[in-house]
Amino acid sequence: MSERPIRIAVDIGGTFTDLQVLDSRSGAVRAWKTPTTPEDPSIGLMRGVEEAASRFGFALAEVGLLLHGTTIATNAVLERKLARGVLLTTAGFEDVLEINRHVRRELYKVDPDPFPCLIERDRRLGVPERLRADGSVEAPLDEAALPALLAKLDALGAEAVAVCLLHSYRNPAHEQRLKALLAEARPGLPVSLSSEVSPEIREYERASTAVLNAVLVPVVKAYLDRLERRLGESGFNPLVFLVQSNGGVCSLRTAAEQPARLLLSGPSGGALAAGRIATLLARPNLVAVDMGGTSYDVSIVQDGRVSVVTQGEIDRLPVRLPMVEMRTIGAGGGSIASVDHGGRLSVGPRSAGARPGPVSYGRGGTEPTVTDANLALGRLDPDYFLGGAMTLDMPATRAAIEAKVGAPLGLSPEAAAEGILTVVNANLGAAVRLSLFEKGLDPRDFSLLSFGGAGGLHAIDVAAEMGIGEVIFPAEPGTLSAYGILYSDLVQDIARSRVLPAVAESLPEIGALIGALREEAEARLAADGVAASARLLEVAVDMRYHGQAFELLVPWGEVAAPDAAALATLLARFHAMHRQRFSYADEAEAVELVTFRVIATGRLPKPDAAVAPPAARPALKGRRRVHEDGEWRELPVWDREALKPEDRIAGPAIVEEAFATHWIGRGWSAALGAAGALIARRDAP
Amino acid sequence: MSKTPLGPIEIEVIRNALTAAAAEMDVTIWRTSRSTIVRELLDYSTAVFDAEGNNLAQSARIPSHLNSMSHFLRELLDKWVDPESWGPDDVVISNDPYCGGQHLPDITAFKPVFHEGKRIAFVGALCHHIDVGGLVAGSYAAKAIEIFQEGLRIPPVKLIEKGVRNEGVWAMIRQNIRKPDLLLGDLNSQIASLEVGATALRRLAARYGAEGMIEAGRRILDMSEAAMRAAISRMPDGTYEFTDWLDDDGIDLGKPIKLHVAVTIKGDAISVDLSGCSPQVQGPTNATLASSNAAVMFAVMSACDEPFAANAGCYRPVTTIAPEGLVVNARHPAPVVHRIAVTHRLLNAMFGALHQAVPDRIPAAYYGNSYVCTFQTVAEDASREVLVEIEIGGTGAHPAKDGVNALSAGMHNNANIPIEMIEAQTPLTITRYGLIPGSGGAGQRRGGLGLAREWRIDSPRCFFTANMDRFVHAPYGLAGGGPASVGRLVLVRDGEESPLPPKCDNVPLQQGDRVRLETSGGGGFGDPASRAAEAVARDRRLGYAT
Repeated sequence: MSERPIRIAVDIGGTFTDLQVLDSRSGAVRAWKTPTTPEDPSIGLMRGVEEAASRFGFALAEVGLLLHGTTIATNAVLERKLARGVLLTTAGFEDVLEINRHVRRELYKVDPDPFPCLIERDRRLGVPERLRADGSVEAPLDEAALPALLAKLDALGAEAVAVCLLHSYRNPAHEQRLKALLAEARPGLPVSLSSEVSPEIREYERASTAVLNAVLVPVVKAYLDRLERRLGESGFNPLVFLVQSNGGVCSLRTAAEQPARLLLSGPSGGALAAGRIATLLARPNLVAVDMGGTSYDVSIVQDGRVSVVTQGEIDRLPVRLPMVEMRTIGAGGGSIASVDHGGRLSVGPRSAGARPGPVSYGRGGTEPTVTDANLALGRLDPDYFLGGAMTLDMPATRAAIEAKVGAPLGLSPEAAAEGILTVVNANLGAAVRLSLFEKGLDPRDFSLLSFGGAGGLHAIDVAAEMGIGEVIFPAEPGTLSAYGILYSDLVQDIARSRVLPAVAESLPEIGALIGALREEAEARLAADGVAASARLLEVAVDMRYHGQAFELLVPWGEVAAPDAAALATLLARFHAMHRQRFSYADEAEAVELVTFRVIATGRLPKPDAAVAPPAARPALKGRRRVHEDGEWRELPVWDREALKPEDRIAGPAIVEEAFATHWIGRGWSAALGAAGALIARRDAP
Repeated sequence: MSKTPLGPIEIEVIRNALTAAAAEMDVTIWRTSRSTIVRELLDYSTAVFDAEGNNLAQSARIPSHLNSMSHFLRELLDKWVDPESWGPDDVVISNDPYCGGQHLPDITAFKPVFHEGKRIAFVGALCHHIDVGGLVAGSYAAKAIEIFQEGLRIPPVKLIEKGVRNEGVWAMIRQNIRKPDLLLGDLNSQIASLEVGATALRRLAARYGAEGMIEAGRRILDMSEAAMRAAISRMPDGTYEFTDWLDDDGIDLGKPIKLHVAVTIKGDAISVDLSGCSPQVQGPTNATLASSNAAVMFAVMSACDEPFAANAGCYRPVTTIAPEGLVVNARHPAPVVHRIAVTHRLLNAMFGALHQAVPDRIPAAYYGNSYVCTFQTVAEDASREVLVEIEIGGTGAHPAKDGVNALSAGMHNNANIPIEMIEAQTPLTITRYGLIPGSGGAGQRRGGLGLAREWRIDSPRCFFTANMDRFVHAPYGLAGGGPASVGRLVLVRDGEESPLPPKCDNVPLQQGDRVRLETSGGGGFGDPASRAAEAVARDRRLGYAT
């Protein structure tokens, strides 16, 4: 795709912009961090690139590929910095967006909040038209209504328009005609069609996705324009791709038209890295856990593939687009420990966040957190937090644990701190267990991949709790997302719903549908400059037994024109998946095909990375007083960056690196493995 | 076997593990059940109990189930099953409201868990089954006048004894229901979930010992009780009364059913006297104690001002007085299948009383009703499709917030069905789905809006069944707030509108007929004249008010 040797992955987080730079000539991969510039993240991005160029000695003109993970769309939604949108619906159904799906999340809450709704009732306009479920027209689109509609759009000050008509996933003609009429009458007003963004059955979820897309278009487009301008100014002209929710990247053009595809891209980097590590370490089954300040994210790599689902949500708004499957619980380093009136100790989901943060940060926090418990027990070094960038306040931390947990429960500060860790580790273990259990998987077949700022101190205890015998601490756990992005591929998901019986009579229609989807996929990859030899088109179908209201995503491989034998293969796979996941299958029962998908991959080259040599200093840094197994002991502290392949770490021990600390528990041993990963295993009994 | 001494840390770890066990049981049912009502409407619940039948932990599903299972299990242990002969490989099931259950479609399965020869716990799973026989498909007859018409009654019986299936019982069930494969499939998934729960508890017991588990259970209940008592202590002492009404029982038309509560708060305890409720009725709008207690408990737990672990310890400070023969404690053989209506209205009445004690915390009445209706379409070739819809209305205004438009509230928690799915599968067209302006009660805080849904029959024939309420007695407002609208059910035929009865079985409809349901909003809170000018302007701009 590009002959220039440097590839850069950038992951823009709330605090830091992380970079990974790969030089394909030497295979060297290097990491860099620079503060994020929230007012315009492209400023921090450019600064990071320039700092990396001077630090690592390459010219901007040598950069062929820039892979960019961004939370610009996510943040715009969370902060409601969105365009003023208008929604056009089939007349009589203007309130579907607000009525939602009814189910409440908190059973006992007496003052529930309404589900968020991005377009208020006065900006939802009905259009006279109606399609039937088979796509035929019951009432034609009444174009005579257009002048009045335009007058309302003007009066409402519309900056973006979303269109979601009933059954448009089956027949997009009315939506397309509306878009053409609007383009003619109001050129420059961006229009998002539900039949283009997410052509899937279920009107509420499709409308929600189209609305999110519409109100993001002006915001994301403005950012991408700025980014392109800034890149051009610096004589820096790489191909730019953006990370999507589905674990792949897309072109700037796709991102500008369909910004909803970026919404849930946050976890993509970590999941991509997990997939890459699964390959490099020959560990096809991984539970990847990312523990930060406020949350614990669990994703699964099974048989080398990251698990993907067809719908996600942001701030309780559904997004009907493929995304990396993730279970999130509110437990992190900032989770607060408290004792209620009944004498019950709980940890989280309340969090001290970054401000005021844990007591130990000395920024005004008064409630003890998980990080504080780790400090109080000596597992964190007060003078070497974030590589020494920050000093932690040990006396205040111990006092807070004593006052808020120890005294109410009648425990010593040490016992209280250990208790906080015991409770939080049990909660983390339960989340991991449930993620595997609901898929019918056995923890003993998995290794635990631990990353995120707070993950390393808890991974061994969680694995022990679960019966998992191996924990992997990847290199650079603090910039792992950027590492994952470095090895991503272009992925375009194209879907269309069509409820059909899974019988031979449907084959002509299935063939035509898949043919059309494949043609569109080829065209999109070609437009993004992917050579034919680097393209891979895979088909998958959402399927169910007749009468069910949810579907299983069943992969069908590289089929183009399926015949009866291919359909039989698909059916057999559906029954088998149903049995594994739901423990029964009924081959006599009628099966329906609901949504057809083509996953189009444009493979980017994957140069091998060289492992960085160990730093020239002793790997065993020294010893520190740590409270372990009921008493204070002098435990070894290892320097991750100086570890050599022959070093053997016997728990209990601590391993420190610049942005993370790892706890190797009693009964576990660790050593370096492939790709610079530190691998801990439970000792044989 | 090492026995860790139980400090507060171990107690919290065990409590979380028990909740996780209930969650694993929940996932097991979700993964293995067969019928749509369980799989998509998620109408089931799972729970873990101590050795005496007290609820220790539960999955977060249906409020009307959750706080009734402990009552059922304790009734079984007190009256129906000899605990001494209930072994570790015996599964007892029952659906009988007159043995501690709620209504016949809900079959509950229980199993004890033993460690080192000692009973340490029970596990239980409740599923709403798609059909248990009786007058109408779905076993939800609006016109039943005794329980024998409502379906198959299963007394407490060992479905599995010493690990062996009791084939006679299985055959008896199979012969008496309309969809045996679905029901027995769901029953099997309940049994699988009990085993998953038992395994999780035995894993815990291996670490903490039988005595440790029993001790932990005792202290988990004590802690929730203490937290609950502390919350009740912060409410002012006094007796608070309130009355709300159900329209009728579907048989004795137009005769309202009274739900009167007298809530006495004294120190750290609450007693709830239901003696002022109407006598039991002829139709199926009756409840047994399991149902009524669930509504009372749900009201009190919601009214407390801090979150605590929901378990049977929360029940201890609360006493319910409900003489037999009333609509809230029906005597055999009254029909009870529509018990959800009684629990909705009882919750409305409880909140009306609790508002007087904690006026800053309690919202005005929500729509208080499950709008259940069934369309059975009949094609030219006589083939049939069935659509069961459960709709909802608006929630009551809260002292600090407007009510929410169209949200599942109170005793149930159901999703709607996508219009596009219905039209792709059934010869029905939805011709309208929208909020009803002005349906929320007026007030300083406005009640949430109800909604309108309209179905058009596209098949040659169709049979329509409904079981609804709040068509006469509107959801009340509080502190000067106005009531919400009442519901309406209308048949539109050849351009003419006529009312349909809200409680009806198998009304014949024809092609082109339209049925329109309009649901209640929620009541308003506070004087409407004191509503902020911006809020009034917004209501007008958005068309929430008329």
